[in-house]
Amino acid sequence: MEFQGSDKYYLDPELGAIVNIAMVMEKPLLLTGEAGTGKTQLALEISRTLGMDIEVLRCKSTIKGEESCYVQDTVLRLNDARFGTEATGRDVNEFFDYVIWGPIGRAFRSEKRVVLLLDEIDKTESDVQDNLLDVLEDCEFTIREVNRVVRAEKRPVIVITSNAKRELSDPFLRRCYCHHIAFPEPEAMREIVALHFQDLDQGLLDAALAIFYELRQRGYEKPPATSELLNWLGALQHERITPDRLNMPFVGTLLKRTEDLLAFRQGGKHSQIH
Amino acid sequence: MFLNDFILRLRDYGVPASLTDAIDFYQGLEKGLAPDLESLFVFARLSFVRRVEHMDAYERAFAFHFLGIDLPRVAEGDPELFNTKQFREWLRQTIAKGDLPRQAIWTMRPEELMKRFWDTVREQMKAHHGGSRWIGTRGNSPFGHSGSARGGVRVFGKSGNRSALKVVGERKYVDYSDAASLRGENLRQALAMLKNLIPAGPRDQLDIDETIYESAKNGGEIDLVFKRSLLDRIEVVLLIDNGGYSMLPHVELTRLLFSKIKNRFRRASTYFFHNTVYGSVFRDPMRRQRLPTAELLRRNPDTRLLILGDAAMAPEELHLSRGAISWDAEDDEPSLTWLERLRERFAHSVWLNPVAKEEWRETYGYPTIEAVGRIFPMEDLTLGGIRRAVDLLNGL
Repeated sequence: MEFQGSDKYYLDPELGAIVNIAMVMEKPLLLTGEAGTGKTQLALEISRTLGMDIEVLRCKSTIKGEESCYVQDTVLRLNDARFGTEATGRDVNEFFDYVIWGPIGRAFRSEKRVVLLLDEIDKTESDVQDNLLDVLEDCEFTIREVNRVVRAEKRPVIVITSNAKRELSDPFLRRCYCHHIAFPEPEAMREIVALHFQDLDQGLLDAALAIFYELRQRGYEKPPATSELLNWLGALQHERITPDRLNMPFVGTLLKRTEDLLAFRQGGKHSQIH
Repeated sequence: MFLNDFILRLRDYGVPASLTDAIDFYQGLEKGLAPDLESLFVFARLSFVRRVEHMDAYERAFAFHFLGIDLPRVAEGDPELFNTKQFREWLRQTIAKGDLPRQAIWTMRPEELMKRFWDTVREQMKAHHGGSRWIGTRGNSPFGHSGSARGGVRVFGKSGNRSALKVVGERKYVDYSDAASLRGENLRQALAMLKNLIPAGPRDQLDIDETIYESAKNGGEIDLVFKRSLLDRIEVVLLIDNGGYSMLPHVELTRLLFSKIKNRFRRASTYFFHNTVYGSVFRDPMRRQRLPTAELLRRNPDTRLLILGDAAMAPEELHLSRGAISWDAEDDEPSLTWLERLRERFAHSVWLNPVAKEEWRETYGYPTIEAVGRIFPMEDLTLGGIRRAVDLLNGL
């Protein structure tokens, strides 16, 4: 099985090679890089083009790690213990009637090889990452309450993304293949745009890209990324406007932070005076 | 053996390649993951490089080992180049070959010299990527290292388009190395690690242990017990030295750190001082509105304290009673006493020095830097320094 990009997703050849290496070596692939460089999208595309199911864990700062494997619905069980289970088909004495599998649990229990995406792992606390380490490395976890081991028959293709909000620990990184996705160069960006817009006016695209990359250079707090560009192009195309430096329509689709917008407006004023 | 040497070379360059990495790497080679140099470049990078700040070192080690090109640590345009051995070696050889006049270093503009150096590097990189010209000039190569193909590894000039190897020499990752100076995005990232989780907010999480206990006590009638969830409630105090000539070159860096801290932490307060702290600090950069340092000392001891200053001053400013150089800060107690009190109150505190660590011993302020460094752990304003500072503030 080899991953080769798709009609909706522009795959950088180097990244393609990396995905395939990670699949051969059965190692988790950790993708870092700016928002909007297609980290999450990559996992979805691997699942789509290789016809594998995908399980997604969207990380939050509050998760403990264990619930991504399974949770026990304690409240339901307490309730059943108190009021009975007559019509429900559950058995209060049967632990597994009250287990809700998390994404990792579902991925490990699946009979087919699946893609497991741990999205924005950096949002979790570092001890959570350490807990997940062994789980991901051995592809197994233990259900504490009944001391039963759940082991993956088919090791999932594990993709982990990080926005580098927080540093990941060294042991965690050691278990993974790490790749930093650089922001696409203008030519690569053209190919990405071409996948989303079929009949885009070439003049509009040239002008928009020039402004886009110039804006990125200006050092805004949140520089516009691919998804912002695509939204902006969509708006421009819909309204049939070709932007230039003095006339910047829909700048709010490119710059999201208030300080950035204010800085842009001030910059704009200056350039009009000159 | 050639590959073993490469792994050792990676370690020399500061890439922490481990034995496990090496074993995995060889297993991958057996599976045929690196049929050509291009794939080897990608596969070895995956196997050994975990942090983006090691990427540049990896590229340099690879260029040296497989392409025979000795890239200096610094990025193009950085005048630090003149202090590198690569530049000196290039200069020696270029003069020896007669391509530059002997007194070039004095007669040519530094920009011109730098450009000539980097042009040679680019020329060499191109020679590899094109595939037509081979570096094997044996000894005449400007950087001395013989570039002949050893161990049967060949450079494949891939059709050119977006080859991963092609980016070696473009130094895309030089900004991320640990010694890199701070910029907006990497500073934000470093500060994001600083947090202090305590139970706060509404009681909206089911406490199962308590629930079972209370329900049992209740004779089986279910009694749900809720607890607060953990939230970040960190408080940060930033003290900035904004006086004196010695801080002038660091204004930009200080401003950057100041704005990032303001953005990152909701409970951050900033005060100013001149050279060192006495009986009061100031709420405004003009140093007009006083805040008695004693008041600062009443803050929650969990507060994270960052002091930003070059700690370079005349020793008497630090050690003597009434040592302050500005009349408005005069104080009967020596500054050292106040610093000790701050450190004692705030266990999570660190002194950030905008002067690079290597230069502390060489600047005129060394005696006072050392004295302050005995009270507060001191770090410099590089990415690595900020990370260590954040570790200290997190109590690691």
